[in-house]
Amino acid sequence: MTLLDTVLFLPLVGFFLLLLVPKDNPNASRMGALLISVVAFAASLGLIAPYWFAAPAGWHFATNVPWISYPPIRYHVALDGLSLWLVLLSTLLTPIAVLVSWKHIDKRVKEYYALLILLEFGLIGVFVALDLFLFYVFWEVSLVPMYFLIGIWGHERRIYAAVKFFLYTMAGSVLMLAAIIYLYNKSGTFDYSDILMQIQSGRLIFDARVQLLLFLAFFGAFAIKVPLFPLHTWLPDAHVEAPTAGSVMLASVMLKMGTYGLMRYCLPLFPDASRNSAPWVAGLAIVGIIYGALVALVQPNMKKLVAYSSVSHLGFVVLGIFSFTQQGFDGAVYQMLNHGVSTGALFMLVGYMYERRHSLEIAAYGGVATPAPNLAAVFLITTLASIGLPLLNNFVGEYLVLQGTAQANFTWVVFAALGVILSACYMLWLYQRAFYGRAAEPVSHRMFDLTPREWAAILPLLALMVWMGTFTQSFLPPISAQNAQILQQTQPVGKVALNAR
Amino acid sequence: MLLWLIPLFPLAGFGLNGLFGRRLSKAAINAIAVGSVLLSFLWVVKTLSALGIFNGGLLEPYREHYYTWIQSGAFNISVDFAIDRLTAVWLGIITGVGLLIHIYAVGYMAHEGGYYRFFSYMNLFMFFMLVLVLGANFLLMFVGWEGVGLCSYLLIGFYFLEKFATDAGNKAFIVNRIGDFGFALAIFLIGVHFGTLDFDRVFAAVKAMPVETQAGWITAAGLLLLVGATGKSAQIPLYVWLPDAMAGPTPVSALIHAATMVTAGVYMVARSAQIYLHSALALDVVAVIGIATAFFSATIGLAQNDIKKVFAYSTVSQLGYMFVGLGVGAFSAGVFHVMTHAFFKALLFLGAGSVIHALSGEQDLQKMGGLARKVPITCITLFCAGVAIAGIPPFSGFFSKDAILAAAYERAPWIYWVGVLTAGLTAFYVFRALFLCFFGDYRGKPPEHHGSHDHGHGHGGIHESPAVMLIPLVILAALSLGGGFINVPKFLEPMFGEPHEGEPWLMYVSVAAGAAGILFAALFYLVSPALADAFVRVFRGPYRWVYNKYFVDELYDVTVVSPVVDGSRQVLWRVGDVRIVDGAVNGVGAVARATGSLLRLAQSGYIRNYAAWVVAGSILAIVFMEWRGGLR
Amino acid sequence: MPANFLPTSAEYIRVLPEIILTVMGTLILLLEAALPDRQKWIFAPLSLAGLVAALLGALAAYSDPGTAFQNMIVVDGFATFFRVLVIGVALLAVLSSSDYLRREGSMGGEFYALLLWSTAGQSIMASAEELIMIFIGLEISSIASYVLAGYLRDDKRNNESALKYFLLGSFATAFLLYGIAWIYGVTGTTNLVDIRRALLNANEPLAFVSTAAALMFVGFAFKISAAPFQSWAPDVYQGAPAPVAAFLTVGPKGAAFAILLRVFFTAFGPIASTWAPLLWAVSLATMTVGNFAAILQSDIKRLLGYSSIAHAGYVLVAVTAHSGAGSAAAMFYLAAYAFTNIGAFAVVTYFSRKGERFTKVDDFAGLAQRQPVMAAMLTIFLLSLIGVPLTGGFFGKFYIFKAALDANLVWLTVLGLLNSAVAAYYYLRILVVMYFREPGEAVEHLPPAGPALKAAVYGSALGTLVLGIFPGWVLEFASKAALR
Repeated sequence: MTLLDTVLFLPLVGFFLLLLVPKDNPNASRMGALLISVVAFAASLGLIAPYWFAAPAGWHFATNVPWISYPPIRYHVALDGLSLWLVLLSTLLTPIAVLVSWKHIDKRVKEYYALLILLEFGLIGVFVALDLFLFYVFWEVSLVPMYFLIGIWGHERRIYAAVKFFLYTMAGSVLMLAAIIYLYNKSGTFDYSDILMQIQSGRLIFDARVQLLLFLAFFGAFAIKVPLFPLHTWLPDAHVEAPTAGSVMLASVMLKMGTYGLMRYCLPLFPDASRNSAPWVAGLAIVGIIYGALVALVQPNMKKLVAYSSVSHLGFVVLGIFSFTQQGFDGAVYQMLNHGVSTGALFMLVGYMYERRHSLEIAAYGGVATPAPNLAAVFLITTLASIGLPLLNNFVGEYLVLQGTAQANFTWVVFAALGVILSACYMLWLYQRAFYGRAAEPVSHRMFDLTPREWAAILPLLALMVWMGTFTQSFLPPISAQNAQILQQTQPVGKVALNAR
Repeated sequence: MLLWLIPLFPLAGFGLNGLFGRRLSKAAINAIAVGSVLLSFLWVVKTLSALGIFNGGLLEPYREHYYTWIQSGAFNISVDFAIDRLTAVWLGIITGVGLLIHIYAVGYMAHEGGYYRFFSYMNLFMFFMLVLVLGANFLLMFVGWEGVGLCSYLLIGFYFLEKFATDAGNKAFIVNRIGDFGFALAIFLIGVHFGTLDFDRVFAAVKAMPVETQAGWITAAGLLLLVGATGKSAQIPLYVWLPDAMAGPTPVSALIHAATMVTAGVYMVARSAQIYLHSALALDVVAVIGIATAFFSATIGLAQNDIKKVFAYSTVSQLGYMFVGLGVGAFSAGVFHVMTHAFFKALLFLGAGSVIHALSGEQDLQKMGGLARKVPITCITLFCAGVAIAGIPPFSGFFSKDAILAAAYERAPWIYWVGVLTAGLTAFYVFRALFLCFFGDYRGKPPEHHGSHDHGHGHGGIHESPAVMLIPLVILAALSLGGGFINVPKFLEPMFGEPHEGEPWLMYVSVAAGAAGILFAALFYLVSPALADAFVRVFRGPYRWVYNKYFVDELYDVTVVSPVVDGSRQVLWRVGDVRIVDGAVNGVGAVARATGSLLRLAQSGYIRNYAAWVVAGSILAIVFMEWRGGLR
Repeated sequence: MPANFLPTSAEYIRVLPEIILTVMGTLILLLEAALPDRQKWIFAPLSLAGLVAALLGALAAYSDPGTAFQNMIVVDGFATFFRVLVIGVALLAVLSSSDYLRREGSMGGEFYALLLWSTAGQSIMASAEELIMIFIGLEISSIASYVLAGYLRDDKRNNESALKYFLLGSFATAFLLYGIAWIYGVTGTTNLVDIRRALLNANEPLAFVSTAAALMFVGFAFKISAAPFQSWAPDVYQGAPAPVAAFLTVGPKGAAFAILLRVFFTAFGPIASTWAPLLWAVSLATMTVGNFAAILQSDIKRLLGYSSIAHAGYVLVAVTAHSGAGSAAAMFYLAAYAFTNIGAFAVVTYFSRKGERFTKVDDFAGLAQRQPVMAAMLTIFLLSLIGVPLTGGFFGKFYIFKAALDANLVWLTVLGLLNSAVAAYYYLRILVVMYFREPGEAVEHLPPAGPALKAAVYGSALGTLVLGIFPGWVLEFASKAALR
């Protein structure tokens, strides 16, 4: 029972405990959820230990015990530089999500918090599972609670959004399941490191066509989750309809399941196919960057705007991944975390505003800065972070991604960098329309300033924005070390093997 | 040496005022804001003297390493500060002029709301500006670069209740982003080719390379950097944000949009001199853009009636001069003009501010006049600035302008002649403004006694500004007059080599042009104002163009802004996303349901039909089996 | 006559479950005549006892595997697996029906008798190794089910359902019988092993053999409601009493799959290349028809009926693979599906109330708020039907498609998986109304569920989850017992 197992299973235990809480005592559910998630976060901090003084690549906190005898499916979890911060992101955002839901959620409170904690379990699992089958299990498990979170506690068109979200993801993942089974049939194991070893050593060889199909099967599932243009249309609906905490978890952590999958599975397992696909994938990513930004520019709905901006931001991540350069990888992973922090914060703030004014339409606001200066200031900082202002987190990620991409193909950068201009356009325009000007009557008397609970929820993220932007090296080394390894794994060994045959 | 203390003081000031300002007294806020800048100024002086700047020291750059910011693979970016003589000049300007303007602002902003907000932004600006010039690699420079842009955005939009102010702020930030796009690409290009962004290593590497005879990637880097510079320093085609930026409080215009931030582009080009020296093409482009901007915006300045707008276009024009200096290879001359310009342009704006303050917010020259007696000190100081910018010897503007024009003549005489013409125009419109403002009869409405207007200076009639505002004016006046004797070109010799010595007649011509400008202004606006109107009537066509700034903003709106916004809304979103992409997704579902209803037709509920199905199915089964397997 | 015509005691042991079930069924019928009404509550416990005994009997029989009655019956792992399966199904069916019968006010013992006899027939099918035996088992099971389907003789829908089931069923069985006649004519034997041997020598005209196989396949395909022989299923399942429908979708179906596997793997194994393509097509058609037709259904019983067609399609994929793994996968899937579907129908039984008023999907609106536990249970079943991990349904699909890929049925796998994604849509609809809609009049004043029904629901849920979290237990036995 390593620390990682503890961190992973604490939420599951918490889930069952929360089911025992009496229905008629919502505060007990709230406090319970907060307690559990905070404990889980505290425990997860211990995961940094191995990386404290050095930045070793490879696995830590590994547990590898049989689960199902035939076919040999194992409970194999471990942590590396790639998953470390994503796990911490999940454990950090769950208590925050609990806090932002405190007043916002007033019906069926018990189920809500139980599902939220269950979601955390699924998310952590996705990031630490090292058995392809186990990974798939967590992948699907994380789907169910989010489906209910959107469907029960969402807004008007929540049902459409929830079903769309579920089916879209499902459609992608069944093909991934087929690919996983196929890999098992060829390699005789579901164990990630084992399969990887076989592929690296050339013992397991797929001809180009098969490899491409396998790559696409995985890629499809991940691209939908990212979401990569043109598979993105579930995202705006899901975000707009989801409750605040749902949007936060969705944007901050769930989308990263896709990009994480690309780095963990697609690239190392199918290096040749990945490299050969790089041009068109990068193309889609760039289209997504610009397209997402342009569509965000004209959204009348704040959540839709932020949702489309996510499409744009995630495009940078995918671009960095498929640049196949150290900087590109580092930037991509760092950008995953950055987007988690800043976009999560944006959704929280939009949620705060919704709780006061009960509207997501930008037009319903204007002049908020006068009645709620602190809210305005916090929103401004978050906005600046999300448009990549230096000394705030996103800048570092975007810089590394683009620097890496520049080494791969300078033309890509020329287009991708346009996204940086556009992000300023849509965010500042939003800010101007929502916060500047003279406050109309409903705004001025409803938009009271941040409450202590809201401060508590947002402050950690603000701190992270500055910290990650200025002292990057307190986060980057583990990522960098692991990426170096992944980069080395994606060297086209397959080609050699193919010629050898 | 603790260079990091220099930017740290203002940062601390920002932190204190930003976090607690709302609960602090005005006095405390002043103490923090001005004090922090003062400390940083003193620390600059101490550092520079310690580096022996006043006795021919600092021939080699002095550098401090603090910590590694980003380490990705072989790519290392660390937080290093460095001082060489170029930086020294800017440090002096930023902290010196900055200090004066902070002091001035204490008086000017005394009656404004959001007092603490204003000063925390100002301090934040000082911090980023200092980082910009102290940073020892391109990325740190970019940090300052974007940071000052942010502060400019915040301060232009300081009166955020007014749409025009926030619009101007957005415009400034976004136009600058377009420039930064170029800057960023340049950084990527440099990073790709050198594997580092460190100034020393990059420029050393460039030095070792042959001069590019036809455009290569060094040229590309140079031009991309220039794109950034045109944004920040308001050169063609990205100058459009600066005139609107005057929506901000006047001290902001003085500090950010005249003295310091807008000269960052000049700093960047001068800093990257090595790159430009290796690409004749890039250098020429700098010169051409410079002279074009100088002349073009000078013509616009002729016809503006908002006193701040006049000075704004004059700033654009003067920045153009500086780029001419850089572009013709006289880097030191360009930098020299940066300094003198910082003196007299800051003075012009602060003086204008003092007038506006006196008139309770009036900015329209047509509503001024005869103020010389009401605000004598302001008047005198402004005329000091006037003669300085007009290039009348021996005042500061004369020296720097002369140095630039001399170098320009060597490189390309036509640039010199356009420059001279521009000098004349400059002198004309500056003095036009001053005459309209201070002489003749007062044309404005009698100032209301408890003023109620957006800037909230409403108190009493027309009055001279308080000492806290006048003292900076006087100091700057002194600098504008005598600043030319600070021999910057000599000081920068170790970096940019011998300053050019032009033939004397060049100097006479340019001075004559300046003098002519002043005389025409006097003729038109003192001797016989009717002449001016007649002049306008005759040249109505050109005048209309000039008066409307050649409709450039409108042009950009039509060709860029509206297409992007409307295209995104009507085509990308409403059609592309909703109809096509999402339509496809929902289409799948529709198809599935259609299939379902089709299959339901088979479900008649009649046994006979079902039996028929069974029979048909069995026949099919047999046939299929025989066909696929049975009879081969 | 040779002495071995007299059965040995060991041979009787090997048919112990059938004996117990038949005897118990008969006994209940006699008591039905004898007992006064107020004592008729006894039947449910009695039949439960009988089924438990039969279960033990099946295990006892397995303690000494082998053939019986001139190789008409074989007791092997395969047979035992299906015996346990059908008896277990019957157990759950009894549990979920007792409330229903009390509610509909007809606690007649004949219901239980028929249930037991049908189970006996299925148990024979499970262990038969000879075509006549298979036919007899099939008929016993079927005729009993026909009657069960129309159990409420005053209920129009019940009658229609029964009549359709009966007419079409016997029609289809005729094909089976015809096929048996053909194969006997060709090979001169009805014993599966002998047929196999004969076919291995391959001196019979393949055309005849394959025709025979096709005809018999039609018979089986009807019973498992494979396309294009599925059309009766929705009507029957919708019309029949909910607990009966539950029983029909898994019991007879499971047994039918048992004989399908037995016949086509053992007897027709040698000519697999001729029937595999047919099964390929049929399985695909079955999945697709079932799923797409289910999308638009508004009646939950009918919807589950169509879904049962689709699931038969998945199992057929495993049969198409024609491998040990395939057989094992099919067995596992049927087990998982049994728990899941009985559970789902049990909740429907409970919810639909007297006269099955509430069987519309929309009637379930807001169930989660009034009856969170029941809703949670139904959720587990639905997720299992969708094939979400940690449920039996998921591992069932997983093993099936794994076997299919082993057999290089790549396209069938891909299409099947996409099918399962489509299926998610209509199962989700039920979740949507249960959780996302506000309670309607249907969910108000629900009577508390009786202990027996509770037992059925919780038992099924438990089974579904155990198979989903520790599938190894069942799968290991299945793969040992699998036919090759």
